[in-house]
Amino acid sequence: MVYLDYSATTPVLPEILDSYNKVTKDYFGNANSLHSLGTKSKELLNEALKQICGIFKINNKELIITSGATESNNMALIGTALSCGKKGSRIIVSKLEHESIYGICKYLEKNDFIIDYVNNDSNGVVDFEDLKKLITKDTILVSICAVNSELGIRQPLKTIKQIINKENPNIIFHSDMTQAIGKVPVILNDVDLASFSAHKIYGPKGIGILYKKNGVNIKPIMYGSSEDLRPGTPPLPLIVAISKALRIATSDLSKKETKVAKLNEKLNLSLKKYPKILINKTKYSIPHILNISLMDIKPETFIHALEKHQIYVGSNTACSSGKISAAVLNIYKDKTRALTTLRISLSHLTSNEEINIFLNVFADIYDKLNNLN
Amino acid sequence: MKKIIIIKYGELNTKKDNISFFINTLKDNIKKALININHEIIFDKGRMFIYTENYDEVIEVLTNTFGIHEINIAYELDNNNLELISAKLMELLKDKEFNTFKVNAKRSDKNYHINSMDINKELGSLILNKFKNKKVDVHNPELNINIEIRFNKSYLYFEKIKGIGGYPVGTLGKGLLMLSGGIDSPVAGYYALKRGIRIEAIYFESPPHTSLNAKNKVLSLARELSEYCGYVKVHIINFTKIQETIYKNCPHEYMITIMRRIMYRISERLSYKINAKVLINGESVGQVASQTLTSMKVINEVVKIPVLRPLACFDKIEIINVAKNIKTYDISILPYEDCCTVFVPDHPVINPASSLAEEYENLIPYEELINEALKNIEVIKILKENNKFDNIL
Repeated sequence: MVYLDYSATTPVLPEILDSYNKVTKDYFGNANSLHSLGTKSKELLNEALKQICGIFKINNKELIITSGATESNNMALIGTALSCGKKGSRIIVSKLEHESIYGICKYLEKNDFIIDYVNNDSNGVVDFEDLKKLITKDTILVSICAVNSELGIRQPLKTIKQIINKENPNIIFHSDMTQAIGKVPVILNDVDLASFSAHKIYGPKGIGILYKKNGVNIKPIMYGSSEDLRPGTPPLPLIVAISKALRIATSDLSKKETKVAKLNEKLNLSLKKYPKILINKTKYSIPHILNISLMDIKPETFIHALEKHQIYVGSNTACSSGKISAAVLNIYKDKTRALTTLRISLSHLTSNEEINIFLNVFADIYDKLNNLN
Repeated sequence: MKKIIIIKYGELNTKKDNISFFINTLKDNIKKALININHEIIFDKGRMFIYTENYDEVIEVLTNTFGIHEINIAYELDNNNLELISAKLMELLKDKEFNTFKVNAKRSDKNYHINSMDINKELGSLILNKFKNKKVDVHNPELNINIEIRFNKSYLYFEKIKGIGGYPVGTLGKGLLMLSGGIDSPVAGYYALKRGIRIEAIYFESPPHTSLNAKNKVLSLARELSEYCGYVKVHIINFTKIQETIYKNCPHEYMITIMRRIMYRISERLSYKINAKVLINGESVGQVASQTLTSMKVINEVVKIPVLRPLACFDKIEIINVAKNIKTYDISILPYEDCCTVFVPDHPVINPASSLAEEYENLIPYEELINEALKNIEVIKILKENNKFDNIL
């Protein structure tokens, strides 16, 4: 198997799965129980949370465990809207967000919030002048993803935060960092709220994190027996798994990035030689994603042809498969280009050999499908 | 030009004949703390130099090591030629953003051809010529440019990172810390470590009146303290029978006094066994009934060993601030009963009389109980590195 869809999700690392199984079996006590089984679980829970806080250099009150990045995004956007509703009703998002952000925006629009979409330049970077213009005294929140999921474009969050602070320091700045963590360094100091998910960093599905800077107030969107922002029995095996996944994913970052950059370069050089294929990447794209447009071949057909050889790649993002690529349309203003994208996403686990296999099979399939046209 | 870390010793410099012992202990402590990080240490009586590539990790360790006054990330040149130094300096300054600066040169080679003041002047004017719109500000510069000229070598650095001072742990021998789950005793332990005392801890548990949570809390506190000394051995005394016997047989207003007297006796005997020269605890004058001057006298008189009370004259708020800094506060405030909070009398005596304490104490076979408790000590060594969940996390 050649798996090249790491930006959609990642396989769970064996050592993370081992921890998950061990904790499920040996630490089944409810961390909130008084007896020693509960205490044992509570101890492990505290240690797992402490490890996460250490990795992000945050304190434990700034860490909220969620079921994944979509829930974190919901808590961030709706929680802020509920908490700041009286101060204003405008929210700014970029045009390169993950679908889950737009879904929440639609809901908020129905509830009388106004969503402003900030433009980006031809490299995909947020247009600072446009951002300045859009910020008003009614703006309560800006949400801009750290790394775009289709083209891997990385946003300069520190500069964006400075602009926001200068124009209206009351605004809360959220960033969906799901595609950034484990690939590039993330600095939580640059934002007020941030979303993460374990399944993009070799952890299990169903667990994520919302970072909430001290002093930032959001209202809960779920209620339960405790007054926590996110009530419910802590899912200890999943929390241990995300803690371990984060520890592994954030170590040796630059070494891993160098390896991925080499693989990307190799792919890029080969695919560039196809006269009709267009490479969709800007100078701010991270090397973990290589997005191409096949132009006169339907990506669905191509993906199914590849899967017969046990090779797996994505179209645009897994969460909006089959639709037009909003990011490619936004940057290149070319509908055909946006309708025919393949997203090849790489990992430090990807081998040179796998790239070779992919390129050979790709050449065969491309020849066949191209001749049909 | 190599990037290295320089350590300055601070208070150790006041030592005379035994300075080598202090510096060697500091070096050993650093080596142990850096066991998992590639590094090399070279030192003399004035400075320690660490060669490594993991600067951030090393500095994190060094900022928690007692005996260090200041840490610098410096560039090392293999000679002390002033022309070369200034060329390297200009290269480094290209990437620095600053409007005002100050040059502080030092030469430990007093035969060097020009003195420190003249080096300052010469390099200062070179910078003014080469970079436009920069100004000298000797009082409050945005950029401090530090140059140290030594025999055959020279060092350039900008930033000074403050160390936590004190003496290297272990240079002053060993003490036994009476560690409860409260806010004060871990802070007392921190101050003892700061003065170079290697600590072991004693904890009194009363299961089932106190829970596993309470014990784990104390072990977590020990883990935080181990950040400063590599490891802390915790001696756990089962105090249930003693406490129950006191409760049943002694007047309740004297319960705490008698309990503390027995804890002191047990701690003293354990100290002799483990070769600790002092007891250390978190008592602070006036805080609770057992910490009035009269109480302290009546409790203290049952032992001969010196008792250090680093927090004796601290305000509670001062103690809390230190506890927050050393990250023990959040653990200490976890709401688990410890053996000083179970069986609390409504009105403990605040001015106990020695004679009465002795009389009431004789109602119980305390010598026998103490010997029994000392026979069944559980010892747990808490290591900074080893977390028992390592394999899972």
